[in-house]
Amino acid sequence: MTCSDVRRVLPDIVDGEIDADFQAHLLSCPACSELVDDLNLIVSEAGTLAETDEPPARVWVNIANQLRAEGIIRDPEGNPARPLLVPAQPRRWSLWWLAPVAAAVLAAGSYQLTHWNAPRSAPQVAQQSPAQPPAATPAVTSPANQPAVVAQSSSTTSHTVNPPAQAAKHQPVPAPLPKAETEVASNQNASREVSPPNEEDQRFLSEVSERAPGMRSTYENQLRAVNAEILETQAYIKRNPEDLDARQHLMEVYQQKAMLYQMALDRIQ
Amino acid sequence: MPHLNRVAAGKGNLTDPNKSTAEADAIERAKQGDEAAFEVLYHLHKRRVYSLCLRMVSNPTQAEDLAQEAFLQLFRKIGTFRGESAFSTWLHRMTVNVVLMQLRKKGLPVVSLEETLETEDEAPRKEFGADDAKLSGSIDRMLLKRAIDKLPPGYRTVFVLHDVEGFEHNEIAEIVGCSIGNSKSQLHKARLKLRDYLKSIRAEKAKTG
Repeated sequence: MTCSDVRRVLPDIVDGEIDADFQAHLLSCPACSELVDDLNLIVSEAGTLAETDEPPARVWVNIANQLRAEGIIRDPEGNPARPLLVPAQPRRWSLWWLAPVAAAVLAAGSYQLTHWNAPRSAPQVAQQSPAQPPAATPAVTSPANQPAVVAQSSSTTSHTVNPPAQAAKHQPVPAPLPKAETEVASNQNASREVSPPNEEDQRFLSEVSERAPGMRSTYENQLRAVNAEILETQAYIKRNPEDLDARQHLMEVYQQKAMLYQMALDRIQ
Repeated sequence: MPHLNRVAAGKGNLTDPNKSTAEADAIERAKQGDEAAFEVLYHLHKRRVYSLCLRMVSNPTQAEDLAQEAFLQLFRKIGTFRGESAFSTWLHRMTVNVVLMQLRKKGLPVVSLEETLETEDEAPRKEFGADDAKLSGSIDRMLLKRAIDKLPPGYRTVFVLHDVEGFEHNEIAEIVGCSIGNSKSQLHKARLKLRDYLKSIRAEKAKTG
């Protein structure tokens, strides 16, 4: 078998084993052997991409609103249900802390992106407990992302994320950065499965458990997924600090996490 | 013995019996208009649907719209689901159709019309700096995603459907309206192009340090 023969039959070798002639050629030809190894690697890695990306929370909000508008979602009495973002009753203030935490998550992401220039500086940020982004109020977010939290809040009636001064005065602790950054950074293939919720996440989940127990597992899974994405992207940025697209992606993932908190606020009150 | 293997990309079948039961229960409740049931179904499949859309169109905003449309089409028809096939298969196929319809609407090629392979330009030639840019070993997932984004739309469609999503060539041929031979040809070219992209990225990184 020659290299030309290899090229000719390769497209037909999809899932099956290769024959003895093919194998013998690979053993004697480094170029063809490397080609087959590379293609194997691409194929095996591609298979892991099927469920790697998390859609933003707004996708579900839009779907639910549309289903309500079409009367497909019905309330227990069988009547068409109210649009998702219009509250059924006046907001209670006991969960006001969730909204500033959502904003603080955004602020933490924004701070990290602007101050994280080199791997050496990152552990200093990660090891602060809790992480201290400067003046983490809803007003202190990158302009591109602030509307994501504020706009959603403005669509509700009696509850808002603002006033910032009040939120800053009463909200004691901004959302800490995900833990174990340095551990993940040393592992290029950080597991997407092992991303335990941090302290603020636990508090959030406790509230969900108390007020909407049926939703806890959903939000817990979503938090795990978004935290995993944050960790993986952070690890990638550490290896590739010049990659602006990755930094933008990290900001978007923080935004998703903030929207998750906001959605919970809308749903469980 | 080396062979062109494929990690079981799978088509999203829920093999966990607990998940299957939860899904079946959610489907029945969704047929009654239960919002929580729709939400369960959404969260069970959102990553699969969105990832598929994103890989196919390489644009997060478009992918959001497409994922949204796929779920809406599914939920509108959920009353007709009788369980003859796996729910995930139904959703999977619907998502692919939504994406392909969008690509066709935009006049983008779903798959190239080339039927035959060229041979000369696909020789496993020794490239400049190939030793430094050896691909074998590991691939950074984000780099692979970026390389897939760079593929021409026709190549990308077949690669995503086959190597990422697990469709067979006869299914791809039926879905996109090409021959099985064309599907195999496009897939092979897509893989070769990805290899080139990834090697050039590696070589660039090796140069810049």
